[in-house]
Amino acid sequence: MKKVLLIVLSIFMLTGCSSKHNELIVVTEAGFAPYEYYEGNKIVGVDIDIAKKVADYLGKKLVVKDVAFDSIISEVKTGKGDFGAAGISYTEERSKEVDFTINYIDSKQVVIVNNNSDIYNTEGINNKKIAVQLGSVADTYLTENYKDVELIREKKFLAAIEDLKDNKVDAVVMDEIPASKLITDNMRILPNELLTDSYGMIVKKGNTELLETINKVINDLKNNNEIDEFLLNHMGIKSKKESSGILGKFYDSVIYNARYKYILEGLKNTLLIALGAVLIGILLGTISAISNNIYENTGKLKILHLISKAYVTVIRGTPSTLQLMIIYYVIFRSMDINMVLVGIMAFGINSGAYVSEIIRAGISSIDKGQWEAGYALGLKYSQVMKKIILPQSIRNILPALGNEFITLVKETSIGAYIGIIELTKASDIIASRTYDYFFPLMIIALIYLVITVILSKLINVLERRLNNARN
Amino acid sequence: MLEIKNLTKKFDNKVVLNGINLNVNKGDVIGIIGPSGCGKSTLLRCINLIEIPTSGEIVLDGDNLVDNKKHNITRRKIGMVFQQFNLFNHLNVLENIILSPVALKLMSKDEAIRRATELLKKIDLEDIMYSYPNRLSGGQKQRVAIIRTLIMNPEIILFDEPTSALDPEMIGEVTNLMRKLRDNGMTMLVVSHEMNFVKSFCNRVIFLSDGIIKEDRSSKELFENPKDDKLKTFLSKIGNY
Repeated sequence: MKKVLLIVLSIFMLTGCSSKHNELIVVTEAGFAPYEYYEGNKIVGVDIDIAKKVADYLGKKLVVKDVAFDSIISEVKTGKGDFGAAGISYTEERSKEVDFTINYIDSKQVVIVNNNSDIYNTEGINNKKIAVQLGSVADTYLTENYKDVELIREKKFLAAIEDLKDNKVDAVVMDEIPASKLITDNMRILPNELLTDSYGMIVKKGNTELLETINKVINDLKNNNEIDEFLLNHMGIKSKKESSGILGKFYDSVIYNARYKYILEGLKNTLLIALGAVLIGILLGTISAISNNIYENTGKLKILHLISKAYVTVIRGTPSTLQLMIIYYVIFRSMDINMVLVGIMAFGINSGAYVSEIIRAGISSIDKGQWEAGYALGLKYSQVMKKIILPQSIRNILPALGNEFITLVKETSIGAYIGIIELTKASDIIASRTYDYFFPLMIIALIYLVITVILSKLINVLERRLNNARN
Repeated sequence: MLEIKNLTKKFDNKVVLNGINLNVNKGDVIGIIGPSGCGKSTLLRCINLIEIPTSGEIVLDGDNLVDNKKHNITRRKIGMVFQQFNLFNHLNVLENIILSPVALKLMSKDEAIRRATELLKKIDLEDIMYSYPNRLSGGQKQRVAIIRTLIMNPEIILFDEPTSALDPEMIGEVTNLMRKLRDNGMTMLVVSHEMNFVKSFCNRVIFLSDGIIKEDRSSKELFENPKDDKLKTFLSKIGNY
């Protein structure tokens, strides 16, 4: 009895020490079938199957996190994820940042061309325009070895295929297995592969315990030929006939597998982020603008004034994508934090700087005589500000504020960069399943448009009301 | 009641007021005249500390206002009427008038409304009580501005060219109201370019030039028998005022 208790206790302590309450986080980019892709609202694939085996082995619950491919290494490095599995090939550069497991897949990089192309072997790609996935093996390999090809680096390999479809490029270089599933009747794969490559998983440098565990799991799977089985399983995925015609494509993009749910989820998050960010933006912007004005008029609040000056300068002087990444990867480095909350904070902080400038302009648009009349009646600075200047400023800045909020709604789309499932990311997920960008993009474009049109109507109504009140 | 001692005001390095000495007694109605740029408006603005004097003293009821950091409290005793009226554009006439006494808790809102209505009735403006400034004529605006000052029960009212921005036919309604105030014993300082008005309205006139007071005499004497050369030139330039 005592022994059992001791074991239970030690397991408890062990799991308590490990990173995130009995969870194992694998970081991937779900848009690389058959290794990782969305099925329904779940991310599945060969890599995920292996990751699941690792989690099972450790007795932990697997959590799959979907980020942009180029963010996977930093996610693992900063400890936001325990390990990365996304068809990542070993390169010396990457191995300086993270540790690689043994290879679990040996993949071939092949060249895809249109049927009518005059390229018949891999030597033929010299001097041609070639699309690859940004940061993929093909990208690094071609960049280093084929200096005279013109590379088009797409964020998604799907977009690369689209480029080929539209004759924007002469060829696409990618992994053989997804390639064989992606090509249309008008395309062919060149007989010889460009290079053979191997995939490993990545862990934080020095995390040998996890590294050895994964290696052991991979070895076991390899010995039982289970990885090949996973591969075959996931390659059957697209055996469902491809819908043809506009209606069929619409069905695939929206209704099949309840894919509209991605859009609803994305819409919900977009609205949540925009609304939260607007509130934070108004709060920060007002504090910043007012503290500046207080300092300029009374000489008080010098420190707050300096902080807010710096705040406005930094935010307005750096790209918002960068700010988002800094907030997520640097400030909340190793915190387990809700992505939507990160979005609200990042966009709120960003918007606040612009709101601050709008309010500042609004205050200075008010005639000096209004201040003087207020002072002459014995009012204090704060009373003049609150009762005379601000009410008139708000009327003047309403159009500019409205524009700022409309911009903000659209700006939230860069949240996809750190993996927030907002509208743009939602469309991306659907496109990665249907291999068709048309409907997902058109639908969310329409949704953005509807939101912003409604917003500008609301602002118009508000403006008119304020003006009527005065007349 | 108001004593100005050696008041100077510099803007950057330009001396606008160069040692003003002035005694204002209760009930005085003093006109301030002088060529443009001579510092007339600056003098008024210094008295209620919209401009902070560079040096000198402004003593009201034995209190030096310049040293006193509570400008907002001393300003309650000094009313000011501006050339451009400066009514609060987002508030109607009644709200304009009661804003300050209510905000400063000098009277309850009900009392302020009662007082304001009373004052507006006296000059037949109760019809426009709920109108916004952009619906009023210049004459109406300036009279509302004067009432907005009156509700604070000031000891002295400063008028900074109160009729300059008005159409000629509106000037009468404003000067009539000012006459009523004078006849009730209100102490007033008036900067104006209307020499006829100054001559007939004020009991005392000061001529300001080069940042100092060149003449300070009764209205009748100053206009009929100017001594200072600059005053003579000034009056002759204005001509048949």
